[in-house]
Amino acid sequence: MPVIVMASPKGGVGKSTCAVLLASEFARMGAEVTVLDCDPNKSLSRWASHGMPKGVSLLGDIGRSEIVPSIRAADGDGKIVIVDLEGIASQLVSRAISQADLVIVPMQATALDAEIGSEALALVREEEDALGRDIRHAVVLTKTSAAVKSRVQKELEEQLSGAGIDVIEPSLVARAAFSEIFAYGGDLTAMMNDTELRTGGKVDKALANAQSFAEAVYERLK
Amino acid sequence: MSGSNRLAGLTARPKETSAEEVRRVDDVGEARGFLDRTPRKKPGRKPSPRTHQLHPKVFPKVGEAIAAEAEKLGITQGQLIEQMWELYSSR
Repeated sequence: MPVIVMASPKGGVGKSTCAVLLASEFARMGAEVTVLDCDPNKSLSRWASHGMPKGVSLLGDIGRSEIVPSIRAADGDGKIVIVDLEGIASQLVSRAISQADLVIVPMQATALDAEIGSEALALVREEEDALGRDIRHAVVLTKTSAAVKSRVQKELEEQLSGAGIDVIEPSLVARAAFSEIFAYGGDLTAMMNDTELRTGGKVDKALANAQSFAEAVYERLK
Repeated sequence: MSGSNRLAGLTARPKETSAEEVRRVDDVGEARGFLDRTPRKKPGRKPSPRTHQLHPKVFPKVGEAIAAEAEKLGITQGQLIEQMWELYSSR
């Protein structure tokens, strides 16, 4: 089953959020999901410490030497492997990309995110050349506005499409639930059904966004 | 999005994981600034938990006398200081 790698040398772009949302949604669809937490900030391990959705297991503290064998060991029939990487340019990142069936590069619609994120895209293409095989990759814009598409976002989407880069639709909207899930644990469905949960946002909208995002990723894995 | 049948159809492409291929990937990454950032261990030998190290600064004459006395007794300067401390603390 596929290996999905979240990559960007920039921190805070939404790699861990994408990983959590995809892991939860694919598990809900019936897949056995293994998440590899390779980020020294341990965002995914923190999320998991509050409880994980059924069907998701997590391996933490994966370093440069362990990444390739860990992906290989976690991969298997009926299993999806999701790798959350550190937000720096490291060999750990380049090694993980080499094992990917899909590399997702999250970026906010800012010039800085685009510039740093493009380093990951360039690395994927160079690895494709060196390894002599295609590594599917796509950008997802994160923390976008729910109300309007900003001028910067429109321009960035045009630039990415113009450069032949696959842009995942929908983008991930700035939703409080996407941040809160790290403190809550589990998945958005559990958050939505929790009558005692006090949240600053609309969990149902966040869940719909996450499901559409997972569907778009699924289409790229077929 | 529901139903496990759709997911069952997903497959991973076979990937090479040989040491040679990993080296090639490392080289490509390094050329783009994706370097080995594994935290390095602190250099040097770890201090022994069984001993304690002193670095006293004394006048040359005193230092030479301590060294000569240790030599004469066939013990180390550390052992001599231990004996001196024993005598001092049993006063």
